[in-house]
Amino acid sequence: MGENVYLPKVAEIIEIIDEIGGARAIKTFRVKMLNAEDDFTYECGQCAMLSVFGKGEAMISISSSPLTEGYVQFSVMKSGRVSLALFALEVGDYLGIRAPLGNGFPVEEWEGKNLLIVGGGIGIAPVWSIVQTALGKRESYGDISLYYGARTSEGFIYKDGLAKLKDQISLNLSIDAEEEGWDGYVGFVPSNLLDKKPSPENTIAITCGPPIMIKFVIQNLSVLGFSDEQIYTTVENKMKCGIGKCGRCNIGKDYACTKGPVFSWAELKQLPQEY
Amino acid sequence: MEKILAKDSLSKWVATLEAADVYSPVFEDNQWNYEIIDDPEKVRLDHALAVHSPKKVVFPQREVYFEFTVKTGIPPQFVEVQPEEKKTVVFGVRPCDGKSMMHLDKVFDDDFEDTYYTRRRNQTVLVGIACATPPSRNCFCTSVNGSPAAEEGLDILMTELGDNYFVKFLTDRGKALADNAEALFTDANDADVQGVAKVHEEAIAKMPRNIEKVEEIPVTLKENFDSPVWDQEAMRCIECGICTFLCPTCHCFDIADEVSNTYPVEGKRVRTWDTCQFPDFTMHSSGHNPRNDKAARLRQRVAHKFQYFVENFDQYLCTGCGRCITDCPVGIDIIDVVNKVRSHG
Repeated sequence: MGENVYLPKVAEIIEIIDEIGGARAIKTFRVKMLNAEDDFTYECGQCAMLSVFGKGEAMISISSSPLTEGYVQFSVMKSGRVSLALFALEVGDYLGIRAPLGNGFPVEEWEGKNLLIVGGGIGIAPVWSIVQTALGKRESYGDISLYYGARTSEGFIYKDGLAKLKDQISLNLSIDAEEEGWDGYVGFVPSNLLDKKPSPENTIAITCGPPIMIKFVIQNLSVLGFSDEQIYTTVENKMKCGIGKCGRCNIGKDYACTKGPVFSWAELKQLPQEY
Repeated sequence: MEKILAKDSLSKWVATLEAADVYSPVFEDNQWNYEIIDDPEKVRLDHALAVHSPKKVVFPQREVYFEFTVKTGIPPQFVEVQPEEKKTVVFGVRPCDGKSMMHLDKVFDDDFEDTYYTRRRNQTVLVGIACATPPSRNCFCTSVNGSPAAEEGLDILMTELGDNYFVKFLTDRGKALADNAEALFTDANDADVQGVAKVHEEAIAKMPRNIEKVEEIPVTLKENFDSPVWDQEAMRCIECGICTFLCPTCHCFDIADEVSNTYPVEGKRVRTWDTCQFPDFTMHSSGHNPRNDKAARLRQRVAHKFQYFVENFDQYLCTGCGRCITDCPVGIDIIDVVNKVRSHG
């Protein structure tokens, strides 16, 4: 008899960062496992099923890098029942965790290549793990550029991290509508790509954001000459079990929780458009 | 091992089963269902197709994963709950329902073993009864590689033969079930074997429904993802989910916490059956829904059974029991649906 795959391990919240406020508030939680024997390793792009006991579970992508020491990080938008409950927690409170779940981005295969990372809204969280990993092994990668869009200039998260990035990678921020004092791009993320025209030469593009953004980012990357094999995304459908049984996250024959959430566009375009 | 058991010895056999929950088809409120019987005399094998398959024995509608206590300032305490260890025997399993267990095994006993399922499954002995007559007007098992006498998933297959049952023991678990009842059984002879073959053959000939050229269906569905038939057929769906709740192969579930209104909070994490036919089954917390309308959800049900599962496991996730047709309150008929998709594109 195997171990019980539905039993969470307990983690303690060691830091909470209030990223943005408002109706779509985002908080970043840094946690460490209560018992050292429950520590786990993970890959960029993998997810964790977080429990708030009494409220339930939600699948959240891990936004720290496997190179990060001392904590595992999750950024959560106030959105559903569990995220609302997470927002009520404080440093020192406890979470349940089932992790790591799903597959990860093949960042090791990408060594020697340029990385074009494209995030929108809370979709920055899973690709942030790649940004941090690539920076941690900076000599292993070519040029790194990050395109990141938010609705307004107040909507960006990881502000400290972004400030540190400026000298190390090409940073292209965008907001949806004009704002006084904004010197970045104004418009949606897919348009920013067409405007800057990043080269597909020896480059892997990775994108995550609202489904409609992902759709148009991929469309525009194709316009720019990226092949289907050069484009990756992460498809985080609604999940409950996280282990390919409960039946809700499938995209055609593949469960996003086990075959994904990371797919190349070459793989994803073979599947029905149910994400 | 093939044996003969006199019909009037059936209850004597059941009486020899030690410390087991024995399920039998029970006729109550004008319908058949598998229930635990407290008296061996209540065992019945003359049943029409039961409303629920014995799926509920290995995958109950509600299952507690663990119980927890939450108190401010201390880590949550939780205690794992596992199914009670109890030998379980189900009599009167129809071959289609026996076969469904093989499908459920593929889902629950894979890289991530679901110990709730495997524990129940491993302690359950399935005693099948071949269908001398198809037990439902919507039977079509022969269209999906099944048969009224299929053995897959069963531990024993019985066939009615005049005043006797022809009892074929298929597994060690099945054989062990006769350990304390050897005197009740006699060896089957060639005439019995031939007689049984005839019963099986006649049952096949009486099959009321059929999917023509079923092997075309997976590709048909793949090529007609955007067929207008999905919308036309789903229009009258009232999203009750009966088609999936009564399906012996459907296995989708929800996981939720049930809590007390007290402090410290006492709660349970519970798995319950869920269905791909409900809109919020796939709805993201943002409101975005990958299967946003009834057409997409009907297509998911049909394609999971006749395309996706075939692509993954080379088997239909359908045993041809016909429950989803018989019990749909608005008459959505999975055979008609696949045929319409095929003919209209």
